This record gives sequence, C-alpha cells and structure tokens, in this order.
Amino acid sequence: MNVTQIIKIARREFLARVRSRAFILMTIMVPAFMAAYMFVLPLLFSTTGTETLRVAVLDTGTDLADALADRLAEIDRPRIDVTERTLVPDDSDETRAPYSDAVRRETIDGYLVLVEDPVIVARARYYARETGNPPMLRALERAVESTILDRLLVDTGVDVAQVRALLRSDLGTTTISAEGEEEGGFEAAFFSTFALAMLLYMAVIINGQGMALAIVEEKSSRLIEVILGAVTATEFMTGKILGVLGSGLTQLAVWVGVALFGLVFVLPTLSVGAEIAGVDLASILSIELLVYFSILFTLGYFFYSILFATVAATCTSTEELSQALFAAMLPLIVALFATFYVLANPSTLATRVLSLLPPFTPLVMLARINVLPPPLWEVWLGIMLLVLGILVTGWLSAKIFRYALLMHGKRPTLPELLGVMRAS
Amino acid sequence: MSTPAVALRCQALVKRFADTIAVDHLDLTVPTGTIFGLLGPNGSGKTSAIRTMLGIYVPDAGSVEVLGSSDPMAVRHRIGYLPEERGLYAKMKVIDQLAFLASIRGLDQKEATRRAGAWLERVGLADSAQSPTGELSKGMQQKVQFASAVIHDPDLVVLDEPFTGLDPVNTRLLKELILEQRKRGATVLLSTHLMEQVEALCESICLIDHGRAVLSGVLADIKASYGRNTIDLEYRGTAGALASVPGVRRCEDTGQEARRELEPDADAQAVIRSLLDRVEIQAVRLDHPHIEEIYLEKVGHRETAPDTTHAATA
Repeated sequence: MNVTQIIKIARREFLARVRSRAFILMTIMVPAFMAAYMFVLPLLFSTTGTETLRVAVLDTGTDLADALADRLAEIDRPRIDVTERTLVPDDSDETRAPYSDAVRRETIDGYLVLVEDPVIVARARYYARETGNPPMLRALERAVESTILDRLLVDTGVDVAQVRALLRSDLGTTTISAEGEEEGGFEAAFFSTFALAMLLYMAVIINGQGMALAIVEEKSSRLIEVILGAVTATEFMTGKILGVLGSGLTQLAVWVGVALFGLVFVLPTLSVGAEIAGVDLASILSIELLVYFSILFTLGYFFYSILFATVAATCTSTEELSQALFAAMLPLIVALFATFYVLANPSTLATRVLSLLPPFTPLVMLARINVLPPPLWEVWLGIMLLVLGILVTGWLSAKIFRYALLMHGKRPTLPELLGVMRAS
Repeated sequence: MSTPAVALRCQALVKRFADTIAVDHLDLTVPTGTIFGLLGPNGSGKTSAIRTMLGIYVPDAGSVEVLGSSDPMAVRHRIGYLPEERGLYAKMKVIDQLAFLASIRGLDQKEATRRAGAWLERVGLADSAQSPTGELSKGMQQKVQFASAVIHDPDLVVLDEPFTGLDPVNTRLLKELILEQRKRGATVLLSTHLMEQVEALCESICLIDHGRAVLSGVLADIKASYGRNTIDLEYRGTAGALASVPGVRRCEDTGQEARRELEPDADAQAVIRSLLDRVEIQAVRLDHPHIEEIYLEKVGHRETAPDTTHAATA
C-alpha cells in the first residue's frame, strides 16, 4: 500500500463528493428540515393554540356547568371562551339542534354536553367541527375529569388541592451511574440518542450510496482499469473510503455547527421553540458523549463504507446496485430499530451482546452510553471489536475488490466470492 | 538506473479463471526500445496476458519481469498503460482529469497540471481544457486517454487496441505519437487487430491464440522464414482467368490486383509464366507474405474469429 496513491484517490473522491449536487443539497436540506421540525412546526401549533376556542356548555342537570366553565377558563392552549352555560332538558338531537347549527354557522366552535351518570356522577360529550386535535381534546378531557373528581371528593372529605397536586405530578427520574447521579435522564437520552443515531444513519446512507454509485459508474464506464494500471485495488478502495469519510465528516461538521448555532443563538430567542424542544442543552451535550459519538461515528462510518464499497464492486449496473445496497443497509436499519429496544432495556444480556457486534456497535453502544453508561471496559471492548471488524472486513473486501472490479456484464456469485475470500 | 536489454519478459505465464484458461504457459520477450506487436483474435487472451504481466491480475504460475523487476507494481510509475476498456470521469474537467491521471502515475500535482496542459496542446484539445470530459467526442476522449498513458514519460508503454474509434487523421496522429515514444527511448507493447499498423510500426511480434504463443520473433525474420512465396500481381483480363493455376495454394483476387501464395515446393518462375499466358500483366513482384496473411494462416481457420478477418481487411 502506497500512502501517496491513497491520498490522491481520496482527494479526488472527496472533491467529487463535496462538489456533487446531492451532497450540497443534503447538507443544506437536513438542517433546514430539522429547523422546520424544531421551530416552524411548534410555531404552527402555537398559532392554532393562540386562537380562542368558543365552546358552549350544556348541562342536562348535573349542576357542574359552572365548575366546568371555571376549569375550561384555566386552559391556556388553546384558550377557551365559554360562550354560554345553559340548562337543557336532555341531550336528544332536537335539543342539540340549535347548537349544532351554531357550530355549522361557525358562531361557536363546539359544545360540551354534561349528562348524569349513575356510577361516576357525570359524563361529557364534545360536539365540534374539529375533533381530531389530540392536545386540545386532552385539555378538554382533563377539565371535565377534574370537575367531576372535585365533585366526587367533596363528599369524602379529602383535600381537593392535595389530590390535584398529585394528579399533576410526574414520576421524576434520576440516572445513577459510576460518575454520580443525574436528574431526568430518560427523555434527554432518548432525544439525543435518536438524533445522533439518525445523524450517523443519514450520513452513511447519503455518502455511502454516493460512493457506491461512483464505483459502479467507474466500472461501467471502464474507467477502473485506467486507474488500476497505476493504483492497486486496495489503495483504490482505501482512498475511496477515506475520501467519502472526509466528505461525511465535513457534512457532519456543517450539521453540528448549524445545530449548535441554532441551539445557542436562535433557540433562546424563540420562547416556543425552547418550550417545545423541552430538552436541557447541558444534559444532551456532555463532552464525554461527544467524544464517544465522534469515535463511534467515525468507526461506524468506516465500517459501512467498506461494506458499501465492496457491494458496489460486485455490481455491474446501477439497477443491480440499488438491490444489493439494501442488503448492506439492513444491519444499519436493524441497529436503528435495536436502539429503541436498548433505550428501554439498557442492561439486558441481549443489549450487551448487540453492543459488542461490530455492525451494531456504533448505534447500540452509543445508546447504552447515553442511557445507562456501561462499564468502561465494555465500551472499549466494543470499540476494539469494531476496529477489528473494520480490519477483517477491509481485508476480505480488498480481495473481492480486486476480483470483482474488472468483471463486466456478470455479477460474481456468492460461492465465487467465498472462493476468492479463501484464496490468498 | 541501468536499462536492461529486455523491457518485459514472461515465462510460462499462466492465468486461469473459474473454468477457462486465459493465459496458457505464455513466453514473451520484449526487447528494450522496440515497438512490439501483441496480436491475436478476439478472446485469444491478449488483454488477460497484459493484465497479468502488469500485475492487475495475480498470475497462477510462471514469472514476469518488467523493467528489471519481478513485481510490476514496484515499477508501476515507469509503466504507461492504456487499457482496451477505458473510460474517463464524465463530469471532471478535461485538464483536471488528465492532471489527476498524471498524478496517480507518480507526478506531483504541479508538474501533473503543467504536463496536462502541454499534452492537451499537443493533441489539439487545448480549447477543451475547461470543458467537462463528457462533452468531448469519443475520438477526443481517446486522445486524452492516450495522453494520460504517456504523460509521465514511462519507460514501458502498453497500448491495448489504441486505434479503435479513431478517424484517419487521428490514426495518423496516434501513429506519430507512438513513434515519438520509441524515439524518446521507451519500449512500446502494442496490442492491435490492425495489421497495417503492425506492419508499419512493429519490429517484433507475438501472435497468441487460446492463451498460447503460436508465433513470435522479429517481424522481418518471420517474413523471411516464409521466403518470397507470394506473387503480387497487377493485371488486366477477364475475371476468373486466374482460377486454378497449378502450384498456387491460396489466392486473393480483386479483379485488377491479385496476390497468390505458392505451394511450398512450387516453382515461382513457372507459375509466373503460366500467369502470363492467361492475362495481360501490368506489374508482377515476388514478395514475402504480409503479416495479415501469416496471421490468417495461423489463426484464420478458426470459425470463431469473424472479427479477425474483418479487422484485418479494415
């Protein structure tokens, strides 16, 4: 292996990648979508929230209309304007007809009908144009529930304020690790693990596919032999992968830079954004996590690039490639789903084994570190095994590379490839 | 750096693929400073032989010695290889492309760019230097590819079918460029179907078939070994008048010119006399066989070589 040759191949590949339209587009689009997801969607939601919902309260005799109106007035998203409280004889169609008409004419947005219930005192039904907004329905439901609960509790002599406080409290969580205790780990861990996993996943898919496509094009355009006269197959493959790694890291740097800029400078200026994102910055971005992420990202990227390059070398057309690439992507997809399992079960045997298998280590180990830091030796064993995996995969694929690169018109069969791997 | 007398030598070289043997105990010696023709029908193993000799394929048996080294990859920067299967990066600018190919052949970036510019000038593509390569015609791309193979002044230039797709003007240019390489002191290994180019350029040849050498040596010696066994004739007369002349083994007749190859023990003078009786002769010459005729005699019997005769008469 000649390092200068590798650098020359890597340099060309890097420039070709970075200048490609797909790269530029994705580098811009991903932060744009993230920004849209984090800022624009909440803004959209919050505008529906600032609209006032005009609701009539109809009581068929529960005597809860006033209490419910008070509860409804406490809701601030969406703000609810109780247009009237009326005692009605029943909840039949005829009784409700004028109110339904009002909803159709849009003079009100909806109405609640309170009906007596033998077991739970009262039930309510909401009639409205729009009944598909879960946060709003949940707010209404809570108001109705607490109104009825208040009534139930009056007779039992329990302190109403106490019960309400109980209902509002969440289960607090504190993560205990070797380093100490950290409050409220799970949500932050879930969010950041998923974000980091997606980053790795997308970077591999975008850049790896680009490289794989380039290799197949070089094969089908017969360029490969021109290069192989001067560069060995191994140098060629290594250079390609390093070039792609470089472009992937560049892309990641841009994304991380934009994300940091957004979190530090833009987020605080948008009160809704901060509230919706709802995650404490410090709890996501510990230095330790960033270090492990960088290591696992680079190694994982390396591993999958080798896999993609090898698969590409055995394909003779872009059609073949798209099928074959799916096979190479499968472990990555499995790993992505496995992270959900790992988040819920961070210390089971299955999790520990998964995190030590090279194809899964980058995502699964990262999830473990993030949720429930495993013993240091396990982390480094995983990293060492991943490095070993890269070396073995690289060594095998170099053989396949040399064999398959000059094959045109026909794909090597699996037995052929196994034969190549066995031969020295 | 000492210059060995032999630029490229392989002995008993074998390259097998799954169920076929592409190179079968091939012996080949290319003297330094010559233009050497590697001939053979399609599928005869020329390209496989070249790839094996250059270290792109690992040989299954036998030895290779290139520019004094047994490892072709160790001397790869002194080799310029133009493969038969050749392409270019369609989106790369012509000048960047040539500079890149020059750089992986061992030139530093600055020198690679300088020479790329000079070579584009030389092959008449200076105006296209900044265009994407994909916009060039096939012939223009061929010239870029040739330039990329010799841009680093290699000691051994290996050209696999360099003439395919070139018009007469560019064919002549390429011929000049090949001769320039030899003048510079380089050794050229030329694989081609075009027998007239072999006749015009090559000092020595090796004809391979089924991966084996069936004929090799200095072209003039090979021809001499056949003796002056061919009568070259310009004549006027009725078509068919020259049919079945005794002592003639094989005959090629266009109606105005004819070449007839004699039986090994035929009396040339007697045959010429009998020809004089049949037609009005304008010119007659007793000649060595053309390389094309030798080629056809050696491998032309094969039914699987229709392209060969086509290429040979092209």
